[in-house]
Amino acid sequence: MDFNFGPVIESWRFLADGVRITVLLSLSVAACSLTFGTLVALARRYGPKWLQAILIFYIDSMRAIPVLVVLVWFYFAFPIATGINLPPFLSALVALSFNLTAYVAEIVRAGMESVRPGQVRAGLALGMSTPQIVRKIVLPQAFVRMMPALGNVLTLTVKDTAIAAVIAVPELMRRADAIAGQTYTPVEVFSTVMLLYFCIIFPITRGVDIVYKRISFLGRS
Amino acid sequence: MTLDWSIVPASAGALAHGALITIALTVLTMAVAVPCGIVVALLRESRFKPIAFLATCFVELFRNLPIILVVYWAFYVMPVVLDLSFSPFVTGLVALCLNNTAYNSETFRSGIRSIRKGQTEAALAMGMSEGQAFRKIVLPQAWRRVLPVLATTWVTLFKDTSLVSVIAVGDLAHTAMQIRSQSFRVIEMLTAMAAIYWLLGYPQAKLADWIHKKFGVTE
Amino acid sequence: MTIATAPQTAATVLQYRDVQKLYGDFVALQGVSMEVKKQQVVCLIGPSGSGKSTLLRCTNALETIDGGEILFDGVRLPKDRTAIRKVRQRMGMVFQNFELFPHKTAIENVIMGPSTVLGLSDEASRDRAEALLKKVGLADKAKNYPANLSGGQQQRVAIARALAMEPEVMLFDEPTSALDPETIGEVLNVMKALADDGMTMIVVTHEMTFARRVADHVVVFERGEIIEQGPPKQIFEAPTTARTRDFLGHLGWDG
Repeated sequence: MDFNFGPVIESWRFLADGVRITVLLSLSVAACSLTFGTLVALARRYGPKWLQAILIFYIDSMRAIPVLVVLVWFYFAFPIATGINLPPFLSALVALSFNLTAYVAEIVRAGMESVRPGQVRAGLALGMSTPQIVRKIVLPQAFVRMMPALGNVLTLTVKDTAIAAVIAVPELMRRADAIAGQTYTPVEVFSTVMLLYFCIIFPITRGVDIVYKRISFLGRS
Repeated sequence: MTLDWSIVPASAGALAHGALITIALTVLTMAVAVPCGIVVALLRESRFKPIAFLATCFVELFRNLPIILVVYWAFYVMPVVLDLSFSPFVTGLVALCLNNTAYNSETFRSGIRSIRKGQTEAALAMGMSEGQAFRKIVLPQAWRRVLPVLATTWVTLFKDTSLVSVIAVGDLAHTAMQIRSQSFRVIEMLTAMAAIYWLLGYPQAKLADWIHKKFGVTE
Repeated sequence: MTIATAPQTAATVLQYRDVQKLYGDFVALQGVSMEVKKQQVVCLIGPSGSGKSTLLRCTNALETIDGGEILFDGVRLPKDRTAIRKVRQRMGMVFQNFELFPHKTAIENVIMGPSTVLGLSDEASRDRAEALLKKVGLADKAKNYPANLSGGQQQRVAIARALAMEPEVMLFDEPTSALDPETIGEVLNVMKALADDGMTMIVVTHEMTFARRVADHVVVFERGEIIEQGPPKQIFEAPTTARTRDFLGHLGWDG
């Protein structure tokens, strides 16, 4: 069996740019999901009943529908239905964030629930208001406790961006497919890209572990 | 914009067939990945270091890769490297099994590790053998930790089967997208696809919640 | 050793009139009437689950009462949330499990109240916090996180945190029950010093020696009711009811 890594090496710039887009998309999606996920979790806990019902339905639906389906729907059906045409990158950003926000919301909710009620009582006894308690006591501790789960979501985000290849976002997966198709060297290309993804995701998994071990005491009451 | 939903009932047969393949993929993958996960988890605890190391490499590799990439890899690379050719269905199945075996082995490993050492020691102190202590004391307790995680993995797997559509396995996603590109009824078909996934996935997600409530251990 | 005893004419800080508290069918408090005067130390004793801690939590409206009334400074505890917060700012509370905020250092814990609730400047609240940590003997631990403090040290920080609000009354909910025996003393000493300074205090406790030596007034609870109250000398040396004798007898207390 002969390997020919020539095409992979020749197109390294093309692949490197794919890595850049993968990282950019991942970070954008992670930032959006974290922001909206926290808001959804807060609204689900403190919002009016009707809003809670809608949010629970949204969260459970996102747990039931594949990312691919959400992605494809946003890219192909959404523009026809609304007349709004988004470029692939933005479509992927919206669709992936829409999906991952639900996961983050669940994590934030569980994190907030895991903060001992005594902590809230201590805040109340100091005369703090509920928004003050949420902001200064519950959320900071919850975020520390949620770190492993949020780390998981971050790796999940990178993995999900690979699915955006399906709607032609020129990220790493898409570029690998393109090179493999043009040069007839799928073994070399996909093995290389496998290594690249591993090199992106593995450090996140490990890094979150290491950081969490050092700061977990901040969330332990 | 005019919508013509008649395409959905007209394709009911094809969609149902796709849904069956999606379900079959889920069930078969789990049927393979649970026992394989146990084996890999045990291999990682092996006293023979090279075996443990290889098992760890396997798990870390597949846990840290996008599944869609594993699917492509299984489709393009595996046949060349192993000199075997599979149907798309089997190729997709292999990719999902590789991935889920890695996940499940982590689930089993942490389930077993979560049982305090004192429990084994108490059993040994009662005169049980190591095997007995594992079977009678550790396993029944670990099971309660493992089952809820497996339920969550199941729901995730059900959704992830949609990714094998990229190698033309005739699952629900692939079938729906095929009909979409032939009929140009984009909104109708994609919405129908989402709705069918929702109808199948929602009860599974709720069942997983129930299992978490019933068996879940809270620290 | 001087023990400040409250003059009989002192103003009443807290007054409980026929207080009742229910959890479903369970009667947690029934017909509880007592008062706390300025600079008085009142100890609530009795078996676990007898309603002492519940009464304490009702006092700063962490729990609502179902009957009777509680007057603070002559005014009935309000129902309105904002008004309740104002009342809580005038009471300090110390919990059995300390409830220090784990993501804040010792001094940040003490600063939390003055800066977020009283709206003091950073500098003013820091000065206040430093003085209080010095008072409870922990000036050198100001930058430690709770995880790096012993139980006794954590509880002393918690006392400083409550004092930072300059409360008119301090509520102690079994402050030494979660402590290792060797650190109980340091916390009780801080509480004793507070009492000597003339702080008005309600203390739920199982530390009978503390109650006997520091309290001006002791209240004995059983099954949500007050079975006896009076000066410590009466309660510990000549209890008037058989049930008080029983309770003290179970503790191995022989007067």
